[in-house]
Amino acid sequence: MSQLFSAFGIDWHLLIAQAVNFGIVLIALWYFLYKPVMATLDKRREMIAKGVDDARKAGEKLAGADGVAAARVADADKKADGILATAREAANKEKASIVSAAESRAAQVAADAEARAAEEVSRARRESEKDIARLALLAAEKVIREKA
Amino acid sequence: MHSGITVVLAAERIGSVFGFPVTNALIMAWLLMAILIAGVYFFRRSLAIVPGKLQAGVEWAFEGALDYMGETLGSDELARKFFPLVATIFIFVAFINELEFFPGVGSLGLMRGTDFIPLLRAPTTDLNFTLALAIISFLTIEVTGVVTLGIFKYAGKYVNLKSPVGFFVGLLEILSNLGRLITFSFRLFGNIFAGEVVVMVAGYFLPYFLPAPLMGFEMFIGLVQAVVFAILTLFFIKLAIMDPAEAH
Repeated sequence: MSQLFSAFGIDWHLLIAQAVNFGIVLIALWYFLYKPVMATLDKRREMIAKGVDDARKAGEKLAGADGVAAARVADADKKADGILATAREAANKEKASIVSAAESRAAQVAADAEARAAEEVSRARRESEKDIARLALLAAEKVIREKA
Repeated sequence: MHSGITVVLAAERIGSVFGFPVTNALIMAWLLMAILIAGVYFFRRSLAIVPGKLQAGVEWAFEGALDYMGETLGSDELARKFFPLVATIFIFVAFINELEFFPGVGSLGLMRGTDFIPLLRAPTTDLNFTLALAIISFLTIEVTGVVTLGIFKYAGKYVNLKSPVGFFVGLLEILSNLGRLITFSFRLFGNIFAGEVVVMVAGYFLPYFLPAPLMGFEMFIGLVQAVVFAILTLFFIKLAIMDPAEAH
């Protein structure tokens, strides 16, 4: 056994030295390679997961916003309908009042005109009665003078 | 220089630090560690949420490896726990094996008397390195088994007194587990060392032409061996955490 060991140059000092060398390489690679690369991989995985999650959330939010917008539009439609209806009603009322005012005014104007016409007629009649009386008077005078 | 081919099974000793021997394989291990650590240090500083090409490639490899480990171990949490060990085995071994034929490795050296001592030698061609790796892998596997299943349940995989057949199966399990130390270390050592020898021999017979394609092939083998070491560690961890009641 010891002959075999010496043939291959096996020496426990060298065994330990090479084992320590491997240990140093292991620690160095751990610190400079495995840990940082794993951390980078994990970090990137996290970032991608977060990105996907954010996109999903944004999509949900967008869908929600669509709903809100639709509700708001429907609300506005309803309100506009209400406003239109009240405006129409007010306009109708206004129209009716204007028409009735105009009608009463026209009636009054017509009544005034009638009254004035009647007065004119009676005045003309009074004038003509006066004329007739005077003419009769003149005629009577003339007759009396001829007879005399 | 030397004529003919000299094959040196053991890594040559260059000197010593505080009584600890320093071999050419150890020097190369330090050099490669420095390059590797500097590389990941600068890579870390360039990390960003929006990745560049290199980072995208590394992330792709990480996610692929993690997925595969999660499938094998049956849990993403366990995959994350063992990923550093398995990945480091692969990265370190692959890095060593790919730079095995880098100019200067095996050709730069010292003359000691008439002997040429290369200053750099791929650590995977030194049994000390592969055995150290095998021991780390072995200990991780066994400790994981004990921690996951509990000491009695885990020991029950190996010591089974319910039936004679079960007893021998348990003995075989112990042997095969201990055998992993040898198979792990010699598989990697043998493949890479043999590759170097093949390239050396090819260079002796047909210099300039034959070594280059062989080096390419050996680099491929080096990558495969790195995968094999890492994947076997993963599989043995899976075997260790499997409940014996479910396993049979």
